[in-house]
Amino acid sequence: MRTRWRGLAAGFTGLVLVVSACGGAGQDDDGGGGQAGEPVPTTGFDGTTIKLGVLTPLSGTVAVIGQPLTAGNEVWFEALNAQGGVAGRYPVELVQEDTQYQPDVAVQRYNKIKGDVVAFTQVLGTAPTLAVLPQLRTDRILAAPASLDALWVREENLLPVGAPYQVQAINAMDYWFADGGGSTSDRICTMIQDDVYGEAGQQGIDFAADKYGFSVTNTQKFKVGTENYAGQIGALAGAGCQVVFLVATPSDAARIWGTAAQARFAPQWFGQSPSYTGALAQSAIAPYLQQSVLIVAEGTEWGDESVPGMKRMVADLEAHAPDEPPDYYFAFGYNQGRAMTEVLEKAVELGDLSRDGILEASRQLGTVGFDGLTGDYRYGPAAERNPPRSTTIFRVDPSKPFGLATVAYLLESEAARQYEFKKADL
Amino acid sequence: MNALLTNVFAGLALGSTYALVALGFVVIFKSTGVINFAQGGLLALGAYLGYTFAGDLALAFGVAVVLACLAAAVAGASVERLVLRRMVGQPPFAVIMITIGLLFVIEPLITAIWGFHTLNVPNPWNIRTVEIGGLVLGVRDLWTIGLTAVVVVGFFLFFRYTAFGLAMRATAFDPEAALAQGISARRVYAVSWAIAAALAALAGITLAAGPGGLSPSISFIALAAFPAMILGGLDSPSGAVLGGLIIGLAEALTRGYQDQLFSWAGSNVSVIVPYVLMIVILLIRPYGLLGTKDVRRI
Amino acid sequence: MARAVKPHRNLVLDYSQDLRLFGTPLARTGLGLMLVTLLVLPTVVQDDFWLSVLIYSGITAIGAIGLNLLTGYCGQISLGHAFFIGAGAYCAALAGGRAGLPLPLWLLVSALVGAVLGGLIGPFALRLRGHYLAIITLGLVFIGEHLWRNLREVTGGNNGTSVLAQATIGPVDLGALELAGESYSRNQGWFWLVWVLVAVIALLAKNIARTRPGRALRAVRDHDQAAEVIGVRAGRYKVGAFMVSSAIAAVAGALFGAYQQHVTPDEWTLLLSIQYIAIIIVGGLGTVFGSILGAVFVGALPALIEEYSEYIPGVADSAGGDGFISVFALNQAIFGLLIVVFLVFEPRGLAGIWFRVRAYFRTWPFSY
Repeated sequence: MRTRWRGLAAGFTGLVLVVSACGGAGQDDDGGGGQAGEPVPTTGFDGTTIKLGVLTPLSGTVAVIGQPLTAGNEVWFEALNAQGGVAGRYPVELVQEDTQYQPDVAVQRYNKIKGDVVAFTQVLGTAPTLAVLPQLRTDRILAAPASLDALWVREENLLPVGAPYQVQAINAMDYWFADGGGSTSDRICTMIQDDVYGEAGQQGIDFAADKYGFSVTNTQKFKVGTENYAGQIGALAGAGCQVVFLVATPSDAARIWGTAAQARFAPQWFGQSPSYTGALAQSAIAPYLQQSVLIVAEGTEWGDESVPGMKRMVADLEAHAPDEPPDYYFAFGYNQGRAMTEVLEKAVELGDLSRDGILEASRQLGTVGFDGLTGDYRYGPAAERNPPRSTTIFRVDPSKPFGLATVAYLLESEAARQYEFKKADL
Repeated sequence: MNALLTNVFAGLALGSTYALVALGFVVIFKSTGVINFAQGGLLALGAYLGYTFAGDLALAFGVAVVLACLAAAVAGASVERLVLRRMVGQPPFAVIMITIGLLFVIEPLITAIWGFHTLNVPNPWNIRTVEIGGLVLGVRDLWTIGLTAVVVVGFFLFFRYTAFGLAMRATAFDPEAALAQGISARRVYAVSWAIAAALAALAGITLAAGPGGLSPSISFIALAAFPAMILGGLDSPSGAVLGGLIIGLAEALTRGYQDQLFSWAGSNVSVIVPYVLMIVILLIRPYGLLGTKDVRRI
Repeated sequence: MARAVKPHRNLVLDYSQDLRLFGTPLARTGLGLMLVTLLVLPTVVQDDFWLSVLIYSGITAIGAIGLNLLTGYCGQISLGHAFFIGAGAYCAALAGGRAGLPLPLWLLVSALVGAVLGGLIGPFALRLRGHYLAIITLGLVFIGEHLWRNLREVTGGNNGTSVLAQATIGPVDLGALELAGESYSRNQGWFWLVWVLVAVIALLAKNIARTRPGRALRAVRDHDQAAEVIGVRAGRYKVGAFMVSSAIAAVAGALFGAYQQHVTPDEWTLLLSIQYIAIIIVGGLGTVFGSILGAVFVGALPALIEEYSEYIPGVADSAGGDGFISVFALNQAIFGLLIVVFLVFEPRGLAGIWFRVRAYFRTWPFSY
């Protein structure tokens, strides 16, 4: 019995060695680059079609953001393909995967499609992006994160667009002192959600406090999904806040502003861009929002024909996805598409669509303009990148398509220009 | 002083919602011995049905609330009839897990039907307020407290004075003896699920009628009601109400003063106050404030 | 005489046979086959996606074995498993990442920390029972989340922290394995690491279960006071079960963190705990093999559904795509339905089905 068992084991071991001898998958050789001329087929590029990955929550609570953002990606590339594609001859195809906004799912999905795509044109969410970042580095893949975190600016493997949250917050304060009729002796407070996104807004306000010489009177933190905000609103009112900078997402923002309206607490609210959604302008709190709230975001109001980027986006939207409602996340996805296209065109110009070729292209990329949809972004080596420093202040106006009307267009403060983006220890 | 009263009022309103949900937990636990994790799903279902009645069908809000509670009750009873009844006599783990499975089924169904977007339920409360003695009170919160009070009183009267209430108490006390008296345990089980679902639906609609609107995450509130239920004692309806109010008050008061008094405990400590309170009280009284200590025999 | 009545098939004749680790020749062959599959699989399935699904499943299987010791064998329901998993991940970040210890050491450190934390829960286990204990451990998850968000030094706060623990044993780096001139990918190396650990921990759990402590645990599960009467120190075993279970959970967490390389407090939520409970129940309470089956089933099922979602009508697999239900929602619904269907028709879980099939063949032709 014992000997048979041992013999069997030896036999299996032999088999294992035979099989494993040819089973390595360590070296993932992906084509490699030709020097100029036509790019040769490589991972995610078959010679004609370029495939790009999208890691986004298509379900779950954050799907409300993932859906329009991805629609923005889609519309940009469909419009591009209608003109022939990248460099006029390489159409783009998106490979979408649902991350459910969970880091471990994002890593699995990343592994699932990384062998099929040349780069990722969208990775939504701070946590999912952080989770795939180590692998992006090892696999030398470029990805465009879909959030305005300052963390991304100095990362070689990431391709951010837009002015980071810190810049929005600084510009909001600048607006308040310069044009909003406020002064540095006002009681300025913050209400932030208890996560990375909230901290980013707080950093901006703290920086502005230092530059303009005011102090933050009171800071209230809250957990996403809290049902009752009377405590925080009471504390803000008790501290006599005249200005409150809010960093939240729409469902919490609605409850917060609703509670404030009920408590008849009406300071000047500044809402960081993700706090707002078009539905708020149609809800019961719209009158309060019109009276007390300014939204700090980018670009221009929806459908503003005087801004070329907006004109083109609305035209593309009508041509390729007429049912898509107006949404700033849509515009964000659309801008991401443009940035990624610029990188791909550069890579085609260099004749190399391999992973290294694309990273090199992103390093050699100069300033990319967004035709007024967001500020222009100077790319290049991560250490030398300069994100846009401009912000648009909106007021709530239910008669507008997205419920927002421009108050100050692409405002760019001196303080925001001075904000330094440091490489985070990620 | 005014700030304190405002916080107390907010705590009572929140506590009323917890009390409704916790009462639902207790009704089911008392008669069937099951902790129903699907309560949050039933709550969300009730709220969304309320949206359909009040929004899509444009019924009067009061009618919509009643219809939604009835529909939720039917849903609750059907769940009991179709699934839970087959589990009588199975180990409690398995039954708890079934309710978790139900939650996993109900949630995607809701999002498949109504989507992920925040919906505004047409209602007469919204952000309206009334001023009583210098204190500004939300109409929605007042209604929540009032409705909860009415329902709780009705609930206790039902159990105390109706024949069916007596039957339910008998079944909870000793199922076999109740059966021997000719009480249908099946009907008792189905009715307890229906009652729990209706309570959850009421809690759901009053929540959804607030300024935040209605989104799928509304079901999370049931998690916060767990401490309320356990704090009062799993098998005590009055404990559930008491627990709900205590937890609601504790949470709202900490939230109001956390930046002044509790900054040493990290940011946003109000989120964990219900759990800390629950743990402390259970260490002192292992069967909750009003729960019965189970007599154990070998 | 005894010889004469020996049956022609492997029936259990006395108690000692019941205690054997690998009872029958069939079980031994099955085990051998499984070991071979474990060794050969990553060389056949080189796809990073499927390997990562299986790696996550393996890590989950380790955690599930831990929970099953506590819940399945000792009868203590814990909804706090996610807390210990999280603690393990942060231990890996500290011991393996910042301190740079090798794999065996950071696993050991995580296990020790897990055991100590589990021991701290002990007093609650002694004082509370059943549902009350379950809800208390639910509180643990929320308090843990608060800690993870606020202990920035260790956990990186809301940003989360990188877990740079390397899978190195001496000169061998499982993250970039080279054997006989052939180099293996990180996923291949990790597959072997994780599944060998699954085997080791399964063996450990099995040995606990079939010896004196295992019998004591089951006595405590069935009736703790009765167990006391027959001389089992119920309290000591309850605390012990918590410690062992948390230690194993922390090991799973450490592996999870080191494999994913970055963890945030958003991951150690109640949902994770519930998933573990689902796994051990779908797999089969009180069986080690069931924990592994359950973990693979729960881990691989969503991936399978997703893979074939395009053939299911009504499923939307892209933004704005047709269909009324997303793949994830469908997954969740199917997962929920499976739990319900399983428990209604086979409360003993996957392992129960296996026992039934085995009994059918063992007692054939009298299998009714």
